[in-house]
Amino acid sequence: MDQAMRPQMMGARVSRVEDPRLLSGQARYLDDVDVPGMLEVAFVRSPHAAAEIVAMRLDKARQHPGVFAVMTYDDCPVMLWDRAEYDIGQPCLAHGEVTYVGQAVVAIIAENRYVAEDAAELVEIEYRPRTPVLDMREAILERPRRVHAETSNVFFHEEYATEGFSEAFDRAPHRLSATFRTNRQTAVSLEARGTAAMIDAASGRLTVYASTQSPHRMREDISNLLDIPEQLVRVIVPEVGGGFGMKANCYPEDIVVAKAALAYRKPVKWVSDRTESLLSDVHGRDDIHDVEVAFADDGKIIAIRDHLMADGGAYPAYPFSGAVGETSLAARVLTGPYDIAHLATVIDCTYSNKVPLGAYRGVWGPIASFIQEGLVERVARYLSLDPAQVRRRNMIRPDQFPYRNAAGMPYDEGSYLASLEDALKLIDYDGFRRRQQELRTQGRYLGLGISAFVEPTAMASSEAGSVGYESCTIRIEPSGRVTAALGLGPTGQGHETTMAQILADQLGVRFEDIVVLHGDTDSAPYGGGTGGSRSGPIGGGAALVAGRQMRQRLIKYAAHLLEAGEDDIELGHGEAWVAGVPDRSISIRTIAQTAYTDVKKIPPGLPIGLELTERYLPKRPVSFSNGTHIAEVEVDIQTGIVRVTRYVVVNDCGRLINPTIVEGQIHGGVAQGIGATLFEALHYDRDGQLTTTSLMDYLLPESTDVPRMVIKHIETPSSGEGGIKGMGEGSLIASPAAVANAISDALAPFGAMVDTLPVTPAMIRAMVS
Amino acid sequence: MPTEEARTAIELNVNGITHRLDVSPRWSLADVLRHQLGLTGTHVGCEQGVCGACTVWLDGLPVRSCLMFGVQAQGHQVTTVEGITPSTGLSPLQTAFQEHHALQCGFCTPGMLLTAQALLDRNPKAEEGEIRAALSGNLCRCTGYQFIVDAVLAARDAGRDA
Amino acid sequence: MKPAAFEYIQAASVEEAIQALADHPQAKILAGGQSLVPLMNFRLNRPGMLVDVNNIDDLATIAVKDAGLAIGSLVRHQRLVEDALIGDRLPILAQAASHIGHWAIRNRGTIGGSLAHADPAAELVALMIALNGTLVVRSHRGVRRLTADEFFLGYFTTALEPTEIIVQCEIPAPTGRMGFSEVVRRPGDFALAGAIVAQSGAAGWVTWFGLGSRPERFSVSHWGQDDGERHAMLGELATRMMLAEDEEYKRDIAVNAAMRAYRQIKEGK
Repeated sequence: MDQAMRPQMMGARVSRVEDPRLLSGQARYLDDVDVPGMLEVAFVRSPHAAAEIVAMRLDKARQHPGVFAVMTYDDCPVMLWDRAEYDIGQPCLAHGEVTYVGQAVVAIIAENRYVAEDAAELVEIEYRPRTPVLDMREAILERPRRVHAETSNVFFHEEYATEGFSEAFDRAPHRLSATFRTNRQTAVSLEARGTAAMIDAASGRLTVYASTQSPHRMREDISNLLDIPEQLVRVIVPEVGGGFGMKANCYPEDIVVAKAALAYRKPVKWVSDRTESLLSDVHGRDDIHDVEVAFADDGKIIAIRDHLMADGGAYPAYPFSGAVGETSLAARVLTGPYDIAHLATVIDCTYSNKVPLGAYRGVWGPIASFIQEGLVERVARYLSLDPAQVRRRNMIRPDQFPYRNAAGMPYDEGSYLASLEDALKLIDYDGFRRRQQELRTQGRYLGLGISAFVEPTAMASSEAGSVGYESCTIRIEPSGRVTAALGLGPTGQGHETTMAQILADQLGVRFEDIVVLHGDTDSAPYGGGTGGSRSGPIGGGAALVAGRQMRQRLIKYAAHLLEAGEDDIELGHGEAWVAGVPDRSISIRTIAQTAYTDVKKIPPGLPIGLELTERYLPKRPVSFSNGTHIAEVEVDIQTGIVRVTRYVVVNDCGRLINPTIVEGQIHGGVAQGIGATLFEALHYDRDGQLTTTSLMDYLLPESTDVPRMVIKHIETPSSGEGGIKGMGEGSLIASPAAVANAISDALAPFGAMVDTLPVTPAMIRAMVS
Repeated sequence: MPTEEARTAIELNVNGITHRLDVSPRWSLADVLRHQLGLTGTHVGCEQGVCGACTVWLDGLPVRSCLMFGVQAQGHQVTTVEGITPSTGLSPLQTAFQEHHALQCGFCTPGMLLTAQALLDRNPKAEEGEIRAALSGNLCRCTGYQFIVDAVLAARDAGRDA
Repeated sequence: MKPAAFEYIQAASVEEAIQALADHPQAKILAGGQSLVPLMNFRLNRPGMLVDVNNIDDLATIAVKDAGLAIGSLVRHQRLVEDALIGDRLPILAQAASHIGHWAIRNRGTIGGSLAHADPAAELVALMIALNGTLVVRSHRGVRRLTADEFFLGYFTTALEPTEIIVQCEIPAPTGRMGFSEVVRRPGDFALAGAIVAQSGAAGWVTWFGLGSRPERFSVSHWGQDDGERHAMLGELATRMMLAEDEEYKRDIAVNAAMRAYRQIKEGK
């Protein structure tokens, strides 16, 4: 049995190779990129939600000591979405009008950020304010006006219904309706966005350092939008301090910084501060769903009807509109892990005078889970059934595979019912119900919320880019050490570790002898970057395919040099040997030296050297993970404060590459879900001013807000390479529904049911009063 | 055209080394450390004292380096993540962070380490609740905190055994 | 988010500090900076000069005065939490200070700075009003002593003149037993609503903070025989607070916070 058949590194709890540099303060993030003479940018941003720009006076800013240049649209006349997927595009600097508070209008380029901000205050802009469009339902009716005069406020509309929907819906014994809503939220990566650009004097190439999840797409965008030949652009992604989907976009500031470096032939850097981050990073969520559910006496759900609305902000974010993602994906997975025969959806995505809506981890998922799990909860309460029992009654059964849901999505086999049963055991469901009853008599309100979820991952199209494949280059150096490179854009997921785990097993070399490169378009093969939970299944798949190819080549070498049959060669620990005859062995190092320096000994038909690139395109367009979360909360009805007290997760993402890293992803997603349910909301006032522009107003969960979690893994392999499924988003997809349902459960004596996220103390007080 | 902003000559003791430098009074201690001394392990996440990424020690106590001006640190001992890192390898707390997967993107990590180390220095028997309370001023967006708390508990126990 | 330029001087003594304030109308005192510097970083506050008082050791004293304590304005929050004399004489102060922000903020923030900032949700502002403390302020024109009621005028507004510096806070020892409770969304946050209560015999007072334009203290003539009576009594008192529409929901929370603070007394915590 050879090494690849009994993997040692894949599935192991390996410590991350990334950590020492991060722990010692030696890692280099975007703002740590510093070269002599580097200039810094501050943007003058719109103070109005909607206004015509009447006049700009820039002289004072230009003359301010330390200012190098002041740029307006005329200096950088570039529109995002120039390729006309939508009717309108976003100018990188406002052109004649502003359409949201925070929109970049003028760029100040100065000797440092302090001076740039001084000069920004000297820019005088005369605005003629317009009535802002702020309400989604009104916007659909083109009220109070069109955001963009030339086109409808509804920029995406789609309708779908299963055959026989109306009949099934109308005939059902029971029907309920509800409106679900998630407020605007945003990623708040702890490292904000940033870009630095400079021209290499020798080659004339433009080097752009970008804090992005999508290095190759960023290079394409800069090349296309600024009309620079692609080979003359290099994108380098330094350490990235979190992205969560938000850093998948190409932003106006990225283009302006690159343009400034080109125009002024100076190194230029812009680093977003936190207020800019909240004002200009893509926002996420912002959904309203008018939902109706039809069901039978036993709790079997027959049909769901949903009018899905999302506020896309002033422009479709480039190159991925979060509003379209939020709605069109939600419509396809609205039935979750339940076998619901009928579905009818109508989607409207609207423009408004708010920040463009983009991706935030789990795009579509939190709202879809909130609805699907909220409906189950409502059905159970209406029929006085146990919510766990209603879930069992509706869950997709193992004998139904291959399974397509009512929207036609092909599910992977999973542990739909098993994960629910395991989670109920882990939380001691029956014991909880007894405790809940006891404590209610003492005026304490505990609740338990179940959230069974599906997580479509590794889709052919995600916010990270349109490519559905990933690439892996492997180069075994003459010393036998391995340099690998992938087109991923990690933001803390530990790909240098997980991809090396996969490669070590395939190549039979020591894990420590592999380095994994990424994020430099000069060294990484073209790829789709990181987003949409694709890096594990597709990136890992590419590593497997490339590793297997290289393994075959090593085996051919060993067989040739050891004069044995290829079938008899085994690889491991940096050696190749003849099965059963360990003395007949050769080191990978010797093979590598042969491949590069002793070319006469290369086996016939093999190329010189040990280098190859392979691409992996999964056969299925999507891979489904699944699982169940259960949250326990205590609601203080006197104050409206909610504490999450216990939390269990049963997760099935197929074959695990590194269980510890998977658990870290789950912990983080649940914490974000607690934030989404209890704290995080971007609030606009009646004038369209964003009032949550600091971390004193936009509240993130702290160490005291997140409970200890218990995680159990189930591994139902996918049909793709390695059996790996994606898992980066499921924990944030499932957790808001779990916490929201737990609050509804706690407040059941008051007849309360949560329908809006986040749930604030004021809302809780209103529910119990 | 260069600026004519006045600068003040100061002596700044960072990680045991005294630096002589000219600072603009309005430059935060974080910016002075990062952009004048090249100590980029201190990160800036919010510039209003909320996120804790910029936490350093001032005379051994954690403070926000975004809410102090560099000029104010004269006469004090400043310690950054670089200063609590041994010349080779990692400290016991840093090692515990790696072993327990207490970091993902790493941006909050230096501030977490400085807060946690200061806590353990003062309270070598800190319980989970005390650890969570001490770390509550350091935001992490990636880990959900559990593995960070585990790492601090493990470092505490290792210190007890030593 | 970088502050506008300013001149900077370090004052070695209170005299130097008040002279600087007298000489420079644009000058502002820089103590712990935990409220001022964020505002400067947002450019919501742009003093032309900062007079750094962090090196004036005379302002960092804690002493017994009459039946209470005299606390220098530069005493930092964490010291209020940990100081033995405060723990002995005025534990309610240590309790209140322990709720301020997070550890790193408490290590730097000062009592004088917190009081000068006058956030209506600030624990120390509430405590000064609750215990009717006195603020000793100095300028080149001399010393003024202001009661908390005289000093705190409203939302982020005080009677402190631009040329004045807070040098000391005198806090009388409370009569009766006290309780403290605040309701926060996350530990360390400013309170949605909080209450400090005192009970002496049947009577006492309640001070609410975190709602309205500044903390307010109300006399309690009778704490009531049971929770029901007490709740009704506090509910009636709470109706006297003027609240903005979006704060209306806090009124009940404030009453419940006061109930909890009172329970602390009864439970002997």
